[in-house]
Amino acid sequence: MTKRGTAQRILHDVKNRGLTAWLLSAILTAFYLVLYFTGLLDAPARAIGLDGKWTLYGLLYTLAVACGGVWVSFKYRHNRYQILRTAVVVFIQSTFAFSIPQLLKFFQQPEYYFSYFWPLKLEYLTPSYIFALPLPYVLYSFVGSLLLAPLLALVFGKRWYCSWVCGCGGLANTFGEPWRHLSNKSGAAWKFEQLAIHTVLGVALALTALLFVSWGFGNGNPQLARAAAQFQFFYGLVVASLLSGVVGVGLYPLGGTRLWCRFFCPMAAMLGLVQKLGRFRIAVKKNMCISCGLCSKYCEMGIDVRAYAQAGTSFTRASCVGCGLCAEVCPRGVLRLENRGALVRIQGH
Amino acid sequence: MHYVIVGNGVAGITAAFTLRQRDRHARITVIGGESDYFFSRTALMYAYMDRLTLRDMEPFERKTYAQRSIALVRGWAVDLDAARRLLRLATGQELLYDKLLLATGSVPHRAPWPGLDAVREGLVHFVSLEHLAECERLTPSTRQAVVAGGGLIGLELVECLRHHGVEVDFLVRESWYWPVALAAEEGAMIAEHVRAHGVRIHCGHQVSAATADQAGRISAVTTAAGLRLPCQMLGVCIGVRPAVDWLRKVTTPPAIGRGVETGDSFQTSLPGVYAAGDCAEFVRPDGSRLLEQIWYSAKRQGEQAAAAMLGDAVAYRPPLFFNSAKFFDIEYTTVGDAAMLSRDGVRTFYHRLPGRNASIRMVERHGAVTGFNMLGSRWDHTLLERWIDERKPMDEAMRHLHLAQFDGEFGRARLDGARAAYFQNPPECRR
Ligand SMILES: Cc1cc2nc3c(=O)[nH]c(=O)nc-3n(C[C@H](O)[C@H](O)[C@H](O)COP(=O)(O)OP(=O)(O)OC[C@H]3O[C@@H](n4cnc5c(N)ncnc54)[C@H](O)[C@@H]3O)c2cc1C
Ligand code: SF4
Repeated sequence: MTKRGTAQRILHDVKNRGLTAWLLSAILTAFYLVLYFTGLLDAPARAIGLDGKWTLYGLLYTLAVACGGVWVSFKYRHNRYQILRTAVVVFIQSTFAFSIPQLLKFFQQPEYYFSYFWPLKLEYLTPSYIFALPLPYVLYSFVGSLLLAPLLALVFGKRWYCSWVCGCGGLANTFGEPWRHLSNKSGAAWKFEQLAIHTVLGVALALTALLFVSWGFGNGNPQLARAAAQFQFFYGLVVASLLSGVVGVGLYPLGGTRLWCRFFCPMAAMLGLVQKLGRFRIAVKKNMCISCGLCSKYCEMGIDVRAYAQAGTSFTRASCVGCGLCAEVCPRGVLRLENRGALVRIQGH
Repeated sequence: MHYVIVGNGVAGITAAFTLRQRDRHARITVIGGESDYFFSRTALMYAYMDRLTLRDMEPFERKTYAQRSIALVRGWAVDLDAARRLLRLATGQELLYDKLLLATGSVPHRAPWPGLDAVREGLVHFVSLEHLAECERLTPSTRQAVVAGGGLIGLELVECLRHHGVEVDFLVRESWYWPVALAAEEGAMIAEHVRAHGVRIHCGHQVSAATADQAGRISAVTTAAGLRLPCQMLGVCIGVRPAVDWLRKVTTPPAIGRGVETGDSFQTSLPGVYAAGDCAEFVRPDGSRLLEQIWYSAKRQGEQAAAAMLGDAVAYRPPLFFNSAKFFDIEYTTVGDAAMLSRDGVRTFYHRLPGRNASIRMVERHGAVTGFNMLGSRWDHTLLERWIDERKPMDEAMRHLHLAQFDGEFGRARLDGARAAYFQNPPECRR
């Protein structure tokens, strides 16, 4: 039952797919369409002394993460995992994902985002792009994407990236907090998720391979070079612009906050597969679940956590970003995120 | 083979799933009067507070039942004829069963106070979906409410009302909150926390009379100690009792005590009729009786009753007691027997943990730890259970206590203070 008062009714409406939610979604979507496909935002950007629309976007994005972060830290102030995680996410967004690239640009260095890796940012293993950068960037990119990211995911789960570092996750878990419960929990959505996300991963891998081939042999083979360039263009349009921006954020108020992360992000797909092999899991205390459903409801990835909890089975799901909200909202303390290892001593397992 | 189950609560549905798992071909029908689908009664408060929709309270996807060929029938069972193996619903529908499980759950105790005859509106319970709807209907026109009954459901109702900005007077008949489970220190800590949430908690007060206004809406409650509390809603949460009234009036009533009497194998006095969950009362050969009325026991009983219906030799023995709850923000885990502190041979250790609303209590009797009462931090009850089963001395439990912590990462409660207090000043044995 909604609380009394007009403000509370509107809040309920915007959080639960009411008219205001549709309105907000339309505004966000329109913003992304304008941003990606027009130059309309360049003028206001220059008016406030920025060099173009992308810097303005970075600024707005960082502000959204920071303000949302303050709110979320307050909301979960009794939970140190949430406070730390939020602080780190806000810090990374405002430095590695915003001010440092701007500074680099200012000092005539390449505008490099140290918090992004391949295959989320395909450029970082696109030979024509990355080999044009100074050697340290090349090394960072290769080691970070192919070694560091999977290795950390093996030890800590994909959360180290998806919930502690990544800007997409950062926005979802701060600004997007009011809509996290809208994710679809049905078995059908899970099936679609597996199909969709692994398709995107496959396409991203294929495209990267093609770009390497074209970089190696494109000179003598203009047809190959043209095909690779076209493929790259469409990937950029569909995956990077439409799916991650327009769908990913535009539909927050209707489909929940992690649509991109759950269904389309190739990085999440890759780290998810690693996570299944790794040490991260959600430990379930046996026989203590009262099947209330709060954990499932507030899972932004649409995992039916309750199904595992009421059956008493600890589990690792590829999609789990380890945001920790299931454990936070559970009124019976049934769930705990953990990295299994020498230190873990869970009974009955 | 046709299995019919009356009651689509956790006991009934768990039984149905267990039956299906073991018998792929039997016909299984579950009858529910309250809702079309099984829902989690324990989540009633979260629906009231807008954190869940009614649909969110359903623990299984709706298509699950069809996938497992479990037929769901909406309706109230009103007659049972064991001679003809026939069950009749209020709708007139008749079902023939081979084996019948009664899993009808609980209904709230009615308030016995004078003056309630005149009250036609404003008196609420908090057990069923119908009660929830009534609470929600009345909340907008309620500024002040009184909740009577110092147990878990009472406090859940209090929290919901506070969430909606209602002023609440909470009447606890005993001298502290929930003495059947909590000792005085814990009761006081909860009372203090509840007060911080704006609740006026009155311990040692019970309702003596209620008054209604001209329209029949409740207007005030008077307590035996002379408090007069104006209110527009009175929540009566003074416990539940098995939902067996309908069974007294059927063609062939089973034996009924407080609940449907069953043996250890869930069999009632009627052939082919079993009972499980909140409504079942076990009568042991030695005459002792057992009535369990929590979620965990209902689930366990549903599972084992199904095994008994399938022909297994079942002798139900409840495991070591454990339970959990949440009082506003304070989580509670209890294992074993941690409240009976006045018996001889009992040693008890209580410590308030620093920096948070949290405490631990351990109880030992005749040299073996018997129970834990933990507030405000998370514990792995399975390990605590094991220590009790193994009859570990309390000293050892204290030394190993950190192993049973289940707090989230970075949020582990500090136990060094408790440990230091324990070993510097060991608790004394009660004589
Ligand atoms: C507000 C609240 C909070 C609770 N919180 C907790 C908690 O945190 N932890 C805990 O352990 N326990 C808790 N409990 C207790 C727990 O919910 C019960 O012990 C449990 O639901 C019992 O399950 P059951 O299947 O036996 O009965 P029920 O869940 O009561 O289900 C029985 C169903 O049968 C239906 N029925 C009854 N008679 C008939 C009939 N003649 N024909 C057709 N249908 C009929 C009823 O309407 C009901 O839907 C709580 C209870 C309440 C009310
Ligand atoms: S929130 Fe906790 S008690 Fe509720 S369904 Fe999930 S695990 Fe079970």
